[in-house]
Amino acid sequence: MEQFFTQLTNGLAVGGIYALIALGYTMVYGVLKLINFAHGDLFTIGAYLGLTLLTSLALTDHIGGIAGILLLAVMAMGLVGIIGILLDRAAYKPLRTSPRLSAVVSALGASIVLSNTVMLVYGPSTRVYPQGLLPSQVFYIFGLPVPVMRFIILGASILLMIGLYVFIQRTKIGTAIRAAAIDQDAARLMGINVDRVIMLVFFIGPALGGAAGVMVGLYYGQITFTMGWTYGLKAFTAAILGGIGNIPGAMVGGLLLGVIEALGAAYISMAWKDAIAFFVLILILIVRPTGLLGERVAEKI
Amino acid sequence: MKRLLFLILTGIVAATANPALAQDPIKIGLMCPLTGSWAAEGKDMKQIVELLADQVNNEGGLLGKEVKIVIGDDSGDPRTAALAAQRMATREVAAVIGTYGSSITEASQNIYASANIIQVANGSTAVRLTEKGLPYFFRTCPRDDEQGRVAVKTLLDSGYENIAILHDNTTYAKGLADEAKKLLDQKEVNIVFFDALTPGEQDYGTILSKMKTKDPDVVFFTGYYPEAGLMLRQKMEKGWDVPFIGGDATNNPDLVKIAGNKAAEGFRFLSPPVPGDLPTKEAREFLEAYEAAYHTTPGSIWAVLAGDGFRVIVEAIKQTQSTDTQKMADYLHNEMEGFSGLTGDIAFNQKGDRIGDVYRVYRVDAGGNFVLTE
Repeated sequence: MEQFFTQLTNGLAVGGIYALIALGYTMVYGVLKLINFAHGDLFTIGAYLGLTLLTSLALTDHIGGIAGILLLAVMAMGLVGIIGILLDRAAYKPLRTSPRLSAVVSALGASIVLSNTVMLVYGPSTRVYPQGLLPSQVFYIFGLPVPVMRFIILGASILLMIGLYVFIQRTKIGTAIRAAAIDQDAARLMGINVDRVIMLVFFIGPALGGAAGVMVGLYYGQITFTMGWTYGLKAFTAAILGGIGNIPGAMVGGLLLGVIEALGAAYISMAWKDAIAFFVLILILIVRPTGLLGERVAEKI
Repeated sequence: MKRLLFLILTGIVAATANPALAQDPIKIGLMCPLTGSWAAEGKDMKQIVELLADQVNNEGGLLGKEVKIVIGDDSGDPRTAALAAQRMATREVAAVIGTYGSSITEASQNIYASANIIQVANGSTAVRLTEKGLPYFFRTCPRDDEQGRVAVKTLLDSGYENIAILHDNTTYAKGLADEAKKLLDQKEVNIVFFDALTPGEQDYGTILSKMKTKDPDVVFFTGYYPEAGLMLRQKMEKGWDVPFIGGDATNNPDLVKIAGNKAAEGFRFLSPPVPGDLPTKEAREFLEAYEAAYHTTPGSIWAVLAGDGFRVIVEAIKQTQSTDTQKMADYLHNEMEGFSGLTGDIAFNQKGDRIGDVYRVYRVDAGGNFVLTE
């Protein structure tokens, strides 16, 4: 039982990060029916930009630890969002009317360009975030040690996800995004500026990915220019698991994938951790081809 | 358009043909991972080999000719390595140095063998690479079975009884883990845990929690330094104080940066000695030259072993006064003895393996430095 709870918290912390990244995949897919394979690299860029801002501005020295980190995360999110818009302009917009396969190839190309750019700018070695910025206390729940940062990461992910959900469901712009996801032409006839909606989607998705990048950097300390690939693949799986194009689906999918991985590794075999996760994905897709929440919510995004 | 293409083509032909009219340089290939997750190692390999080549050229070259390094990027990926090797084989290189990962070297071995090119690998320690009977394959690094023996000796000498072994499913790490397990099974100790992690992740909480339930006295991790650094840090955060011993792929100063001094302190690993711990003149001079050129110290021993690969090739060309593959290979197999390398004396046996006892045990001290224990 002790092992079960420990692994559950392990899984939820990783799952929260998967979910945040998965939101970027799902939003872009919802509106454009495009799988943005470069999204994992935007996440990497977020982690690196966070490090640059942290070391060059010394924010945490001037305005205190927590506020500094929050400001840092917001700045990194903004910058990654802008890179996301530029990415759309450079790699996807020229292909808007082309067959979907062309855009996918362009996405893979963009991914290679971005990860190698990061390598050229920051160098190929592993970079390390400064230590001691975050609380390192350990909570004891039923006598089990759980680092307090695990809760903070999970909490921050959930807050961002709820914020996004409210934004999409309750605001006018959110309604426009949902409308564009259902039918772009009809939305255009209703006076919605679809190009602007797409731009917004390419800002919000990468920004959330950037936030996840900063969180990974702060918590795990180590970042490499190739890390976007692993996280990107997992987050993409999470998005499919929950039903791609569906925001609550991405959240559920991410958390579920994290927990499945952790429990699979604990009770079956560690070396087969990824295989177990993908096996569960296949099982779920056989029963529910559109993913867990794919059908229940009629409107996408 | 066709005319333009023709002009470009004639330009290329003229450009490549011209130096041939002067004097052909001696070309030595270097295959290394300049992109991909081992790019840091590859960059170091390139810097070291280029530095040594410059030194040879400044001293008048080799057989009166200039030495030119031809670089191929293997990306740390077997498929890319096969392409890089095919390309390298067409570029008239006298010999090739490289590469780092065992599975990457393996993908290129047969290509160089069928092109009759000498290959001197620098970081590929998997046993089977030299068990194939390839006449022109050498390596400056030791083999995993040798490391396995030293690892088991260290584990037993420290008095551990319940041992956890963790690898990462790469050719190298699994080979070393299997070797250690085989040797430990014959002894009076229990292997309480034997499994693999997935490299390239950030969160190893799951694995640490699972190992903890088996309550081992020590964890022997045979994988690479990024994962080792993360696990050291995460194990400290969990308040678990089991000692870790690493294989030679954890020998990289980045390990301490990732883990932090506090978490890394007390970590031990096996490795061939780093150049700073060698008393030879060559090692000292090399370190000074490297620091003068790049303002830092070499990252890991594996890149330095690429430098030794370069030096044995140069020595073979010098001694045989030729770049003939068979003559050089005969020299390396039979005649080279006690050649003073950057990492100690070098000689090769008939399989192309380096002879001699190279592994040492290092320990990380409170300041994050690697200290030789003996």
